[in-house]
Amino acid sequence: MSEVRKTYKMFVGNSFVRSESGRTYSLEQKNEVIELPQASKKDVRDAVSSAKKGYSSWSSLTPYNRAQILYRLSEMVEGRKASYVQILKESGISTSTAKKDIDKAIEVLIWYSGITDKWEQLSGNLNPVAGSYFNISHQEPLGVSFIFPRDNLSLNSLLLSILPPLSVGCSVISLSREAGILAIMLAEDVHNSDMPSGALNILTGDYEVILGDVSKHVEIKGIGVNSVFNNDDYTIIQSNGSESVKRVFKFNESMNLLSLTPYLETKTVWHPKGK
Amino acid sequence: MIEKWSYSDSVESREIVSLEDKYGHFIDGSFVSPKSKKYFDSISPSTEELLSQVSFGGEADVDNAVSSAREGFKTWQKVKPVERSKYLFKIARLIQERSREFAVLESMDGGKPIKESRDVDLPQVSANFFYFAGWADKLDISWGTDKLKPYGVAGQIIPWNFPLLMLAWKVAPALATGNSVVLKPAETTPLTALLFAEICAEAGLPDGVFNLVTGNGETGAFIVNHEDIDKIAFTGSTGVGKQIQSTLAGTGKGLTLELGGKAANIVYEDASIDQAVEGVVNGIFFNQGHVCCAGSRLLIQESIENEFIEKLERRMQQLRVGNPLDKNTDIGAINSKQQLNKITELVESGINDGGSIYQTECELPGNGFWFKPTLFTNVQPAYRIAREEIFGPVLTTITFRTPEEAVEIANNTEYGLSAGIWSEKGSKVLWTADNLDAGVIWSNTFNKFDPSSPFGGYKESGFGREGGRHGLLSYLKEEK
Repeated sequence: MSEVRKTYKMFVGNSFVRSESGRTYSLEQKNEVIELPQASKKDVRDAVSSAKKGYSSWSSLTPYNRAQILYRLSEMVEGRKASYVQILKESGISTSTAKKDIDKAIEVLIWYSGITDKWEQLSGNLNPVAGSYFNISHQEPLGVSFIFPRDNLSLNSLLLSILPPLSVGCSVISLSREAGILAIMLAEDVHNSDMPSGALNILTGDYEVILGDVSKHVEIKGIGVNSVFNNDDYTIIQSNGSESVKRVFKFNESMNLLSLTPYLETKTVWHPKGK
Repeated sequence: MIEKWSYSDSVESREIVSLEDKYGHFIDGSFVSPKSKKYFDSISPSTEELLSQVSFGGEADVDNAVSSAREGFKTWQKVKPVERSKYLFKIARLIQERSREFAVLESMDGGKPIKESRDVDLPQVSANFFYFAGWADKLDISWGTDKLKPYGVAGQIIPWNFPLLMLAWKVAPALATGNSVVLKPAETTPLTALLFAEICAEAGLPDGVFNLVTGNGETGAFIVNHEDIDKIAFTGSTGVGKQIQSTLAGTGKGLTLELGGKAANIVYEDASIDQAVEGVVNGIFFNQGHVCCAGSRLLIQESIENEFIEKLERRMQQLRVGNPLDKNTDIGAINSKQQLNKITELVESGINDGGSIYQTECELPGNGFWFKPTLFTNVQPAYRIAREEIFGPVLTTITFRTPEEAVEIANNTEYGLSAGIWSEKGSKVLWTADNLDAGVIWSNTFNKFDPSSPFGGYKESGFGREGGRHGLLSYLKEEK
């Protein structure tokens, strides 16, 4: 008797959903074949309206609150470490590599949970203008950000792609293909966390199908693509993005201040001093 | 009956400026004749007289300038950071020394009042070189990493509204961070940039570090499309900015854009009214309204509309329009015939849409390009004059009832460059500032600039910042 095929769902607006198109793709695991939804144009639109609401609630939380939610998420991932390792093993990753990956992923979550209430002290400053004015430059999140993570089987890599925008208060839509199962597993933990609905949305499938819709969507304020993304497709995103002066950039998977700055807008406020 | 006071002329002498009949491009440390063999006129917009002829930059000229900048970059990289710093300090000093000459020329070539070029533009120009000079040897501590490196050759395209100041905003940080430069000033205002090239030679700046090509939009396109340029910095219209962003797609080149604006200047009922009137006047009539961050939409709380508009009109009537070189002039000439036509067309659309127009009574000179200070009331947010950048001395008024409504109207535009807030209540000012989508917010003041203060837009007003510590990032990239 053959294994019953399990169908995973995407994560949009705190719910697990099939693709509106009904299309799926399959990932062959060691002992079974798993079906995942192929995100469509309509799914992108739904994810964006979810992410808009998510942005409003996530960005209005205090940085302290965001830190606690992300830290709690790290505890949840740690609690399910064995399951994450198992999933990676079923995808053909060795036990030691899988363990290392999840350990690193937890460290990354802890690093980014702690940065939520610190980045603004590092990226903003008072400006010593030549006059009697209070003048400060501080940052605000870009808004809805679409992330194309590297499509490798690594939770660490996925988190290094989505946490920079999330930690500064952007809402995120990400798309994974090969790492689809892993991404949906993360979504299960996010679902059980206190992260507001729509702050993180996870789509699955081939990116070529939605590339045009994502890059032309005016409500998506920033698009981050991984450093090994196909350059022809990157050109399409940048070119389409220019229609609304969209912020489009490549990111490195790193943990430093410059990994956050692409997701920030600098606002400078002046006020006279006087009696 | 008291007779109306008359003013006597107080005209700044042009003697201090001596212009050549013709200028070449400044490439590899000296002025060279254009390979295009073409020259075009630079005229004074206040008299329409010919000031000089400047070179048209064709493809071969741009090519020449970029090769020179490539060599210049190699030289510049070998110069110790503290030495780079010294060159920039020296340039700042030389500009200060010739400040009057620059100011007079700026007003002749661009039409702005001498009191602005003398008291705002020129002091800011040298201040920018002083400020960025001091960063050249501190880049490793600017953002807590030593991984930030210059792009290489920076292509810079600047507008005609603050010709020399926009040059300073671009050239000072580019050179401080170790890039070399190919600069193209605007077609109608190339003269002060040519004088600046003389200063670079005088300062002994190594050949090829700063290159200047004069020309029009076609010349700009050659720069944007040039394969050997590593970074483009553009200030100008949103339309052209979008084209540049599209052209550079996938090339991996750096890009910063400082584009248009339609700033809301929000006046709450608890504002200090007289101060707010002054601020609103400064916000829109400074530099003939040729300011991307101009406070061109007056958002006035309904309860004070009548009182405010009355005071505003009275204050507007005091503005003196005329000869830019007259020290009493508040509003000079419109920069070009083309710009005057654009302003005129938009103002006509405002009248046809149903807006009520108020213009001051004043005599305009016979020659040159002029536009009377203009105020629109009874404007609906959908009118073109409430949505499009006019880039002239035209203020559009919209009323609101609540702070939420003010913010909604203010943000209801694709632009996001600047905004103004007038209120004596601190908490309301801070709440409003937090909720406005704009890169620069002036509260109880307007149109203040400083080299240490980052400037740049949200949304379709562009990306990247100029000025301040944040401005360094526009010319540095992270080494992988």
